[in-house]
Amino acid sequence: MILAPRFNSRPVISLQHVWKRYPNGTLALRDISLEVPAGEFLFLVGPSGAGKSTLVRLLIREEKPSKGKIFINGLELGRMKRWRLPHFRRQVGLVFQDYKLLPRLTVYENVAFALRVLGESSRVVSARVSDALATVGLEDKRRKYPSELSGGEQQRVAIARALVHAPRLILADEPTGNLDPATAWEIMQLFLRINAGGATVVMATHNREIVDMLRRRVIAIDGGQVVRDDRSGRYHEVLPAAAVHL
Amino acid sequence: MRFFRQLLFTSNSGWQSFWRNGGVTVAAVLSIMLILLLGGTSLLLGHALSQVLEGYKQRVSVISVSVADGTPLASVSDFMADLRERPEVTNVRFVSKEEELRRFASDPRNQQLLQQLDSNPVPAKIEVSVRHLSDVSTIDGLARGWRGADRTNPTDYQGDFIANMVRLSNYLTIAGLGLFAVLLLISVVIVMNTIRTAVYHRRREIEVMKLVGATEWFVRRPFLIEGWLTGMIAAALAVAVLLAIYRPFVARFQQDLFFLPLAYDPSFVVPLGLEMLALGSGLGLVGSFISVRRFVRL
Ligand SMILES: Nc1ncnc2c1ncn2[C@@H]1O[C@H](COP(=O)(O)OP(=O)(O)OP(=O)(O)O)[C@@H](O)[C@H]1O
Ligand SMILES: [Mg+2]
Repeated sequence: MILAPRFNSRPVISLQHVWKRYPNGTLALRDISLEVPAGEFLFLVGPSGAGKSTLVRLLIREEKPSKGKIFINGLELGRMKRWRLPHFRRQVGLVFQDYKLLPRLTVYENVAFALRVLGESSRVVSARVSDALATVGLEDKRRKYPSELSGGEQQRVAIARALVHAPRLILADEPTGNLDPATAWEIMQLFLRINAGGATVVMATHNREIVDMLRRRVIAIDGGQVVRDDRSGRYHEVLPAAAVHL
Repeated sequence: MRFFRQLLFTSNSGWQSFWRNGGVTVAAVLSIMLILLLGGTSLLLGHALSQVLEGYKQRVSVISVSVADGTPLASVSDFMADLRERPEVTNVRFVSKEEELRRFASDPRNQQLLQQLDSNPVPAKIEVSVRHLSDVSTIDGLARGWRGADRTNPTDYQGDFIANMVRLSNYLTIAGLGLFAVLLLISVVIVMNTIRTAVYHRRREIEVMKLVGATEWFVRRPFLIEGWLTGMIAAALAVAVLLAIYRPFVARFQQDLFFLPLAYDPSFVVPLGLEMLALGSGLGLVGSFISVRRFVRL
């Protein structure tokens, strides 16, 4: 599977010598170059402050790189006009550690929100929201408010919202960061299913068990640099001595 | 259709935000209302003053020259011909002693005085209308130099009093406009700050809108609506208060200062009200526009 030839497919994400220095002088990313082919499941790991979230922010052009180029589906983000941003962001599903749900809206309305801002008709909204809620298994909670849900359920709502635009790329920044291990696994199953459906998934995480269990591509970042890029990696670099026991 | 649904969505959310922003909005509406009220009142007072001055101006751009009893008619008509030739003079009219007496007698306050007289005490007059108020003094000078003029009381010219009043009113207008500009600026700043707090209150919602791909102006529109509502409601309240006090004020004024020609002027009130509403909407939109361009960015 991993060795299958993919020379004819253009990478979904491509970074070329990307640097990011924040206005306050913090150098968050140094000379990052990487490519993510379509359909891949990629973990970004690294200690706190390594620059994972910064990388995610660059990928949705919430921030611009100080140097270097970023391509998504062949489009260079740095040259994208501001008015094209909304359209671009609709093609990317975003999931965060803190869910980012609107507390005054019901589950249904939170998911529908992503479509209402585009002025979709209520028929379209109803069909797509129901689909998305079915995918995450929350059809029976559609009238509840976020405060009435568990953390895992809230994260499912956020994932449903990310899915209503049927994105081909999902970016998740520590989506299981606030969840207990069992719930985290349920959420991971969801991401795996979405990935199996063909979407590319990039996930920043601190969850060692999950990364070690799934053995997907792992890019480790430390001090703003890529220190490791394994085809089917683990959370920590496997030392030769430890490998003997495996 | 899509656009309409989007508009409905933003209007709703602007309206909600307007109410949710509660205290801040109420404070903004009240401050702007007071400011507009101040502006509106000064406009009304200015209008009343110019009404009064206008009445005077019309009256004083006519100067009447008293003709001494016994002046030959030929001399009077010569002088009148001279006057007619002057460019600043628009009309010259002779008022005989009899006509002047009739005019004098038509005022009931003079009745008693008249009964005690047996000859005609009033002089004949030459009424000279001039183009500009400032020309009156020229005519006054001419009349004083004319031999046929009444010695004791040659003309009814009142010196530069009126001209000074007109100048004062012009200064007041300029000062009023300056004050108005400053007040408008303050209103715009108030709206800017209101919208800024509204943006702060709704930062989560804005963040979510951005990440689901709402356009920049879609996110901004509710705040524009909110700013517009703030200015509009403030203006509507100010207009209501002005309408309520204008008429009684004029009535009171007419009672106490009956000699000043001030009248209730509905043809001024309606455009003033409309202008204030437009002004309120305008400053609301401008304030929220500036704020939103600064604080709501994708
Ligand atoms: N908006 C910002 N302005 C200035 N510096 C920032 C900003 N955001 C992040 N940084 C700095 O950039 C570096 C990378 O931060 P980033 O949030 O990308 O790390 P991270 O890998 O996501 O960490 P964590 O695992 O704790 O989420 C840190 O040193 C951080 O302090
Ligand atoms: Mg982070």
